[in-house]
Amino acid sequence: MAYASLIRNFHNFTCRVLSTSNRLVHNVSPNVWEEKHRSESDKPTFMRNPYKYKKQECILCKLNIKPDYKNVRLLSQFQSRFTGRIYGRHITGLCKNQQRKVEQEILKAQNAGLMGYYTKDVAFCKDPKLFDPNHPFRPHKY
Amino acid sequence: MPIYELPLLLRIMPKPEIVSTLKRAATAIFEKGGFIRKIENLGQKDLPAKTSSHGVVSRQAHYFVIYFDVPPKHISNLEDIFNRDIDIVRNRIYKHDLTVNNKPCTLEDELKPPPYRRDVQKLLKITERQESRKKKFSYKSGLNYYPFQK
Ligand SMILES: [Zn+2]
Repeated sequence: MAYASLIRNFHNFTCRVLSTSNRLVHNVSPNVWEEKHRSESDKPTFMRNPYKYKKQECILCKLNIKPDYKNVRLLSQFQSRFTGRIYGRHITGLCKNQQRKVEQEILKAQNAGLMGYYTKDVAFCKDPKLFDPNHPFRPHKY
Repeated sequence: MPIYELPLLLRIMPKPEIVSTLKRAATAIFEKGGFIRKIENLGQKDLPAKTSSHGVVSRQAHYFVIYFDVPPKHISNLEDIFNRDIDIVRNRIYKHDLTVNNKPCTLEDELKPPPYRRDVQKLLKITERQESRKKKFSYKSGLNYYPFQK
């Protein structure tokens, strides 16, 4: 008991000495130095959670592209090259809104004679792939 | 007057005839009190499939898009005129889309497992409400047996 109080007294004493003289600060251990400066600069700072994932967005929303029936090259990227079928949302990785728009525009293009119902333009078959039908964003129903 | 788009496929023919066909289409719009904003020439292209129109089979066509304004009540009339023109292989009239996509992307919500999705939660709430409205058989009937067939 007496030993603990002695240590505390000694600690208080050193702190007082250190606070009065600036020169001594360089020679003391970092623990004491820390205690002195805690009140000013070592307060916890607020920052955003660095481990939070970035919000996922579909490719059309991310690049701010509006599907248009005249842009056949873009629309045919969402179509099978073998059957001309429009891929589903689980494969294309689009959000509901964009997928609906893409389907609408493809239908408009097909009706206007710009795009085939069961065929894909040969020139567009080697376009870069936005997704892989064999590895869908969400699992198949079957 | 709303803006309309008219993708126009003309059969393969020499240039002066194309000009006269386009003029015919344009005057039809003008006569209905409309005006043309823009005409786009997409060139001569292969049709996605062979198309028969007015008794002629065509495999190629001249592609044009006309942007025009016309009172909406004349649209069906214009369609009829274009459908009867024998030089036009196919025509459609679409409304020009001026909407801007302000909706935030909902992909993240959709990729969650079903019970965490907002639309599924809505459905669950609806069924919960329906279940709570249903009358349940009360077992406090004073009988010591179940009165219905199990
Ligand atoms: Zn999206």
